[in-house]
Amino acid sequence: MTITLQTIIFALLSVVVLGSALFVVTTRNLFHAALMLILSFFGVAGLYVLLESGFFAVAQVLVYIGAISILFIFAVMLTRGMVAMPRVNAQAQLAALVSVLLFVVIVVIVNPTALSIKVLPGASERVLGGIPWQFTTVTTITDSYIKQFGASLVDGSAYLLPFLLAAVLLDIALAGAVQVARERRPAEVLAERELMAAEAAEEQQREQALDTAPETVLAADHH
Amino acid sequence: MDLLNIINNLLKIIGDWIYGLVHGLVGNLLVTDLITMGLAAIILCTFAALSFMGLTYAERKIVARIQDRIGPNQAGPFGLLVPIADGIKMFTKEDTTPTAADRWVYNIAPLVIATAALTAYAVLPLAPGVVGTNLNVGVVFTIAIGSGSVVAILMAGWGSNNKYALLGAFRTVAQLIGYEVPMLLNLIPVVLIAGSLSLVDIVNVQSTLNGSPGIPFVLYFPVSALIFLISGIAETARSPFDLLEAESEIVAGFHVEYSGMKFALFFLGEYVNALAVSFMFATLFLGGYNGPIFPPYVWLLIKAAAVFTILMWLRGTLPRIRVDQMHTMNWKFFVPISALNLIILLLVAKIFQPGNAAMPWVTPGVQAMATAITTLIPFLAGLSIASRRLRSQRDAAEALAETRRAANRAAVTTSMGGAH
Repeated sequence: MTITLQTIIFALLSVVVLGSALFVVTTRNLFHAALMLILSFFGVAGLYVLLESGFFAVAQVLVYIGAISILFIFAVMLTRGMVAMPRVNAQAQLAALVSVLLFVVIVVIVNPTALSIKVLPGASERVLGGIPWQFTTVTTITDSYIKQFGASLVDGSAYLLPFLLAAVLLDIALAGAVQVARERRPAEVLAERELMAAEAAEEQQREQALDTAPETVLAADHH
Repeated sequence: MDLLNIINNLLKIIGDWIYGLVHGLVGNLLVTDLITMGLAAIILCTFAALSFMGLTYAERKIVARIQDRIGPNQAGPFGLLVPIADGIKMFTKEDTTPTAADRWVYNIAPLVIATAALTAYAVLPLAPGVVGTNLNVGVVFTIAIGSGSVVAILMAGWGSNNKYALLGAFRTVAQLIGYEVPMLLNLIPVVLIAGSLSLVDIVNVQSTLNGSPGIPFVLYFPVSALIFLISGIAETARSPFDLLEAESEIVAGFHVEYSGMKFALFFLGEYVNALAVSFMFATLFLGGYNGPIFPPYVWLLIKAAAVFTILMWLRGTLPRIRVDQMHTMNWKFFVPISALNLIILLLVAKIFQPGNAAMPWVTPGVQAMATAITTLIPFLAGLSIASRRLRSQRDAAEALAETRRAANRAAVTTSMGGAH
């Protein structure tokens, strides 16, 4: 393997991504974990930039940092006892197994011979300390790739179906969120209260039954 | 003519000269790129930070005039030295950290907010050929980088370990995320007509569109421009949307525990963000650096200053709105009207597309008129419906209060009568 500046930057970004990811799973402070997750996402955006895919880098920042992480932080802030969480839970071993399997699958799928490396024309001019900027298979990425990406989302022979499915999924999630968060009508509130009162009464009866049960047993012993 | 050319392209000529100078000294393209880009970044950040000083002074003076006051007039001639006095004061203040603070998070938050605010200038085209970096996704970049300030505000709110700071942070995030929606929805028409996400292309399209003279997008999309501007003010959390620091409700919001230079960084973030929104509005809707007679960079400054003056004007005249009013305005008015707006724009802009053989009379001007008129009508209708509904709600609330007061008075008089 030949070292290029791109691989050096890749290594640095990988250290950031993996290091912060490791911090996420080892820290006991949930808020710190969420912040480090943001750093990890940011590193992944950097990897996209290194691949000369600006749109996905920006989308990564917009969606993962701007929306998902903020949601995480909100959820975390509403959690009690968030500064001393246990490091592992009951599913830790299963999760580890799945992660290892996923890693193996990725290693098998990515075919290193497909990534044949050739020197970019003009690459010899961009040298720092004797190390060239890049060897790459991709020679030109122009503005039109965003257009191609957009067109493929609405192309029946490309990604129309996944795109529509994602849209339906998001719509369902949105409707669900509205249903969960919506203000209850007075009648509904009353009905809910009655239901709760009924449940509470049932609970009380059961407790009473439990309380009285030993006495009857005792009484039976006495006889 | 030659002199005129030099003046018009001054920034580009200086840039090329520095690039050539560094290249001559270093003799390596990559190192030259690194050095010149670093220099450009330093100059842009310094410009933004210096403009912060000027803006605080201008805002104090102008808001004072609007409110029939004089404003700063003691330090130096016309109070011009006030920003410097402020800076010295900020430097000499004690740098406090609450004992129960989450130290790392608390200390990094101001840096994150200042960085996020300054990064937006990287994609701003200042003059033809003068842009930090011509990203082909510049528009989305500016929006995405704004989420950095949301994270910073949450960090400040949590790290301070103060309930008012946390409440302020929650409020802010709800506000910023909410107003991102209409902002993005109203960026789409601009991107569609320009056919590109790059800010440079968007500016060029407003100068020449398919060979004919271009039209500033504010004439194409007056409604989108208005909603974008209002959402922009809400995104920078300036008055009348400064609910995150509503003193009467949550002391000073997320930065209540900050002092000295850390507080100054939050302040800088606010102003730099507001200026970035002004620049963005000037670039997206007012034609950027295009304009007659003056050099391009002067035009951009004039336009951005005009937009910033509107922000100051609003700050000087409008009272702070309530939290529920702010969210109602966004989710029940801006978002639906923006969505409707977008659908109408898509249809009308497609029907009146210039270059259609069946309708040779359609020029960009006709297209602009068609989109402007067809979007203004539903917007004005929605505005009148909303204002009528709000008025009737207010009247009903007032009538209820009046009957309650009357009932109270009656009760008081009967009880007094009983006592006699």
